[in-house]
Amino acid sequence: MAAKRTMTLNLTDAEMRALEELCEKKDLNKTALLRQALRLYQLVEARIEKGEKLFFEDDKTKEKAEVMML
Amino acid sequence: MSVTASPAFLWNVERGEAEAAELWDAITEQQLADWEAEWIPELFKALQRLRRAGVPRQAWPQSRHWDWRKKTAALTGMLAHPSFSIVCRGLTQGMMIVDNTTKRGRLADQAGKNLVYVEYVENAPWNRKELFDPPRYRGIGSLLMRAAIEASRHEGFKGRIGLHSLPQADAFYAKTCGMTDLGVDPDPNYSPMHYFEMTQEQAEAFVAKGGKS
Repeated sequence: MAAKRTMTLNLTDAEMRALEELCEKKDLNKTALLRQALRLYQLVEARIEKGEKLFFEDDKTKEKAEVMML
Repeated sequence: MSVTASPAFLWNVERGEAEAAELWDAITEQQLADWEAEWIPELFKALQRLRRAGVPRQAWPQSRHWDWRKKTAALTGMLAHPSFSIVCRGLTQGMMIVDNTTKRGRLADQAGKNLVYVEYVENAPWNRKELFDPPRYRGIGSLLMRAAIEASRHEGFKGRIGLHSLPQADAFYAKTCGMTDLGVDPDPNYSPMHYFEMTQEQAEAFVAKGGKS
């Protein structure tokens, strides 16, 4: 397994609350959830850099809305 | 690239004994060179035998079109797509790429929960009993499934994994791995492949029996 490094993360109350709610919902600890967020962000960035677009699609109406990434 | 090699064992069918192997947490240039110079020629020879024996094309291994170099190049450096390989006697015996980020569980008890999805997994042609009888080594598929379970646990997913099975492998995932068969995926991108999922309990049972059939 790859070596790991430790970092300190400073979050506001609201950010911490959001993190804790997501951890509860996803049944993941904070480290696992933030790792997931990083992986997803890297994946999305890589695909957008390749010229792809990110959409949300309404399951019923099939309407699509593009997610604008900054 | 830094690669961690963990000790493992494969079953040498000809000798009837276990043989030391390594599980690598990567697919490196060595694996891709093995695929090009060793796997592909053996696969072509095996396909020639199937054709000459009158085996219908539909029964040939579906993975014959896979290009591991392209697959690996597209995913290199992506944290969401770790890869694994098994090396024995200096030769690559199996490879796997997983997705640890974008897929969610479908079984009622784990619907919406994160899991490790096995995107691509393949044995070297000489280890596939439908191509070589007897195969050279057994246990590659089980070792790679065990690696997927460990990757799932490492992510905090408790061993949950999912995959779409090529028809030749349905029995392996259902019987040997003890996964739940959710049937043919209605998504035209996957149909007629069956979707299989492993729960935390099924993962524990698979690991407890040592991944054997």
